[in-house]
Amino acid sequence: MNRIALLVSLVIVSVSAQAQELTGIEVYPGDINLLTARGRQTFVVQASYADGITRDVTAQCKVTLANPGLAKIDKNLVTPLADGETQLIVEFGGKSKTIPVKVKDAKVDRPISFKLDVMPIFMRAGCNSGGCHGAARGKDGFRLSLFGFDADGDHYRLTRELPGRRINLSLPQESLLIEKALGKVPHTGGARIKEGDPYYHDLIRWIEAKAPNDPATIPTPVGLDIYPKQAVLDGKGELQQMVVRATYSDGTVRDVTSLSLFLSSNDNSAKISDDGLVTANERGEAFVMARFATFTVGAQIIVLPKGLKFTWPNVEERNYIDTLVHNKLKKLRILPGEVCDDETFLRRVYLDIVGVLPTVEEYSKFISSSEPNKRAKLIDELLERKEFAELWVLKWAELLQIRSSQQVSYKAMLLYYEWLQQRIAQNVPVDVWVQELLGASGGTFKNPATNFYQNETDILKLTENVAQVFMGMRIQCAQCHNHPFDRWTMDDYYSFAAFFAQIGRKGTDDPREVIVFNSRGGEVSHPVRGGAMKPKFLGGIEPDLKGEDRRVVLARWLASPENPYFATGLANRVWHHFFGVGIIEEVDDVRISNPASNPELLAELGKRFTSYKYDFKKLVRDICNSRTYQLSTKTNESNEGDTRNFARAYLRRIKAETFLDCISQVTETKNKFPGLPNGARAVQIADGTVSTYFLTTFGRAQRETVCSCEVRLEPTLSQSLHLLNGDATTSRIINGNVIGKRLAENKTIAQIIEELYIRCLSRKPTGAEVAKLVAMVDAEPDKKTALEDVFWSLLNSREFMFNH
Amino acid sequence: MTRPVTWQDDPAHFRRPTRRSFLTVGLVGGLGLSLDQFFRLQAVQANTPGGPKEGPAKSIIHIFLPGGIAHQDFLDPKPLAPVEYRGEIGTTPTKLPGVFFSEYMKHTAQVADKITVCRSMTHGEAAHERGTHNMFTGYRPSPAIIFPSMGSVVSHEFGPRKNLPPYVCIPSLPTTYASSGYLSSAFAPFSLGSDPAAPGFTVQDLKLPNGVDDKRFEKRRSMLEAVNDYFARKEKDDSLKAMDTFYERAYSLISSEQAKNAFNINLEKPELRDAYGRNAAGQRMLLARRLVESGVRFVSLTYGGWDMHNSIKAGMAGSLPQFDQAFAMLIRDLSDRGLLDSTLVMVSSEFGRTPKINGTAGRDHWPKVFSIILAGGGIKKGFIYGASDATATEPEDDPLTVEDMAMTVYHQLGIDGEKKLMSPGSRPIDIVREGTVRKALIA
Repeated sequence: MNRIALLVSLVIVSVSAQAQELTGIEVYPGDINLLTARGRQTFVVQASYADGITRDVTAQCKVTLANPGLAKIDKNLVTPLADGETQLIVEFGGKSKTIPVKVKDAKVDRPISFKLDVMPIFMRAGCNSGGCHGAARGKDGFRLSLFGFDADGDHYRLTRELPGRRINLSLPQESLLIEKALGKVPHTGGARIKEGDPYYHDLIRWIEAKAPNDPATIPTPVGLDIYPKQAVLDGKGELQQMVVRATYSDGTVRDVTSLSLFLSSNDNSAKISDDGLVTANERGEAFVMARFATFTVGAQIIVLPKGLKFTWPNVEERNYIDTLVHNKLKKLRILPGEVCDDETFLRRVYLDIVGVLPTVEEYSKFISSSEPNKRAKLIDELLERKEFAELWVLKWAELLQIRSSQQVSYKAMLLYYEWLQQRIAQNVPVDVWVQELLGASGGTFKNPATNFYQNETDILKLTENVAQVFMGMRIQCAQCHNHPFDRWTMDDYYSFAAFFAQIGRKGTDDPREVIVFNSRGGEVSHPVRGGAMKPKFLGGIEPDLKGEDRRVVLARWLASPENPYFATGLANRVWHHFFGVGIIEEVDDVRISNPASNPELLAELGKRFTSYKYDFKKLVRDICNSRTYQLSTKTNESNEGDTRNFARAYLRRIKAETFLDCISQVTETKNKFPGLPNGARAVQIADGTVSTYFLTTFGRAQRETVCSCEVRLEPTLSQSLHLLNGDATTSRIINGNVIGKRLAENKTIAQIIEELYIRCLSRKPTGAEVAKLVAMVDAEPDKKTALEDVFWSLLNSREFMFNH
Repeated sequence: MTRPVTWQDDPAHFRRPTRRSFLTVGLVGGLGLSLDQFFRLQAVQANTPGGPKEGPAKSIIHIFLPGGIAHQDFLDPKPLAPVEYRGEIGTTPTKLPGVFFSEYMKHTAQVADKITVCRSMTHGEAAHERGTHNMFTGYRPSPAIIFPSMGSVVSHEFGPRKNLPPYVCIPSLPTTYASSGYLSSAFAPFSLGSDPAAPGFTVQDLKLPNGVDDKRFEKRRSMLEAVNDYFARKEKDDSLKAMDTFYERAYSLISSEQAKNAFNINLEKPELRDAYGRNAAGQRMLLARRLVESGVRFVSLTYGGWDMHNSIKAGMAGSLPQFDQAFAMLIRDLSDRGLLDSTLVMVSSEFGRTPKINGTAGRDHWPKVFSIILAGGGIKKGFIYGASDATATEPEDDPLTVEDMAMTVYHQLGIDGEKKLMSPGSRPIDIVREGTVRKALIA
């Protein structure tokens, strides 16, 4: 029977393999190192085909060792026999691949280690997860540190907390630890391991060895890799095994596939089993992750409909953005949409670059121009307008939480805002002013950048804010335990916080002003281990402080190419502004388990941004000139489900401030905001605490937190009511009297309707629209009122509220 | 073997030990939901016909007393405690034998047989905003996520009824924690934007603008349809559909006389308005009754400022009698109209106040024990639940946690507090984390 099944599967493989040409095979990991008699390594073989499909062919390969005396191969598992070096030769479909194999200490047993062998079992079996014993107060009277962030504490709790209860040195099998884990005695978590499985053996072996803790010199994991890094699976039911390998501080490696936790970001497309076997499901993309020790690593899995026919047509690529977006779309077999028409483009760039609508004159000039590069020219023109800077001042003011408060007086807030405005208006490179900001000392009036340290005075919150704003990361989790979905440990967190431990603050003669200075004293200590933490860059080195202000040292690193998150993080924020979706989404939730939809694109944008000396006008120019930005919202069969890969334009509601400015602009009415001259635009409001009913209702950020989620774009009943009945529409239409003026100029009804359409929607009405509306207006005795109703309808139209 | 559990499965984020059995919730969904997907999901959740069935309480009026009302000077006096504990405020007997309220609660004392007073409410948050968060959301505040208020959850689970917004705040949004939290702001409350006690009271944007009558509004609507048509044909997007939904709701609110009348407090008899009291407490509670009577599911109103660090006797004498008159009238009025059994009335505050009178004759923040009222909607009548100790310092019997309070309220409304809602990042989060329905409170 088995032979028949094998034969059948071989036939299937060869049939589908015939359909597409095999282009190569890869063996993972790229080398095999077996240390001691307990060394073991699994491997996978991935075949690639001409159409980009990959297949796990491990079971179908011919696998041999150049020197069969050194190791034993059992399916995909290699175990040691004798010391030496040899090669593993893998053959499949006429292709072959050779990887080196090293065996050392094959006859030597490896002693059991608490940290290397036992602790990983607690994580793999779920014992130390947050829902179980990893909870801060433990579970049912027994506590383990969450995901093992405190191994010594766990050793203490197992062996010393209740002596003789949890482990039984004379009868290891009867230890409560074992009986609970097996489910032999009542255990809320049920059976977590099986008698006789490797986990069981390791636990018993540890207790038999008298439950030792490890010497301080025990190696620690320093890296983790998952293989293969990418797979493109051909239809539902396709399988791909993953292999996970850890690297330790002594340079050794271990296969930790059986000790890792696996999860998929999208079970709907790719499920992953506890043993790391991926099963393809519906079309889509998933990121499968393995977690081991403090590391989480991921691989990209693309699932395509079985036997999908796809040919990539010749699509124009205007710059690197298009190339990289298309590369991803090719993998996903998605065709990008068409380029949008001039009217749509015009409205989109105006709203995105300057936050206003094109005037009727600007509209006519652009539409009637026959210059081939008129779009590029318009982008250049708009980038030089002051409204461009204002839009970004607004964005940064949200991130820097510029608002008056108990700590920041109104005057200090205004000075802070002006400081920011000057930097952006003068196009000061972002790294320069961010360094100035983070390293700032002095009075909050004299050096307004110091207000950054007045907005938030709590060291830990400040630390979290800096990480979130300038690195796009939410590291809050690591305040209490190692981040479960990212690489950050408590050590990382508190040594980063140490940069903010020496901020001194003192009053001045003016109660509204505070002086921020380097107090040269104060440390941050680790809440579990105690002891002052040495300042260390998040994801970077421990710098030599040389007696400098810690914040100055940090600022120099943070806003520089040394910090891998700075340029990409800002580029992602810029990208989000122009597409409504970040390459990493949310833009301030960068973590391993929330990967970029297009990492190559993000990396390239970061690289360019750095090479442009952080002049983000140049980055905006690249984005706006790309074909990708200029796509239409119109869908085709393959891109209609796309929401993350930029295969079409997405609808975006216009944000509160810009929306109000657009209404003022088209109705020719003025706004009055507290502290600003009559006629000011909503984007110019300096103080986050200043708002209006309109702005609050349409989701203006209150700047209470640095979170990008403060800007809300969802519809509400109050919004609809306000546009239908509120003073934002009817009274503005009357007060601005645009209709009255046009009637006085003896414009026809059709002409006025056309102008209103251009004003509000940046397009001419269709023939049908003109006919319908003219008829409706004609039917009314009072033309002015009827035309005002047309205007009102345009302000209430979905097309007006959305950037499309 | 298990999947890693989600963030919210770790009670450390909530600092309460867990008793519930092991959970295996994986990360579900895609690589983070887009706004559109999010809507789709929520639209599905909100509109599933097999969704929750209404419970005995068809509506709820939440009366929130901001600042933290002193429990011992309100519902839980300790006349036998030493003077520095009992303070200067006297007591009044109630309809329940042996049960006393504050001397400023004479009217409520006469409806004590219709309500349940919980004297063992407890939590650990002594800061205003954190305590407020607790009482509006049923959750302890978290650094990582903002939870939706109970009203937004009700709005999410049931949607509108009789053309009226499901969740209304009187007079305005009292705190950001009364809003939709991690849920879409589509489930945020509808705020009146005006105080029903004010002489020229009108609801923000409910009335057609001057010069626009129903006929003209109809014309406007048909023009708007003509204008929308082009875009609607061209664009297929869930965010558009969501916007349309709210326009439809606005139309039905504006065009339904019945719905608009719900907000028109002038339609109440002047005698009844007087009986409630012509003040903020009276008129807000009266309007709340009008709204639930008309179909609103959740009304949240605030009254007064109770943060009485100084001269608490004068403060209470100034504010409490109005509350007392209005609240007793609300209970009677609901009862007379046969609405009390289908309307849950909850009176709460962010916390109580310190057992001892402080140096400035006031009391400071005290979350360890305080009192709330639950009445109607299937809650016991004439019942005192739980008790504080002799000095109103600690709960003595049946400490009522925030989670259990929320769980019980949801239960009466027909919502299963153990159900999970989807938060951004595809994180499923329980409506209430580890609460138990307090059966003892239910009639």
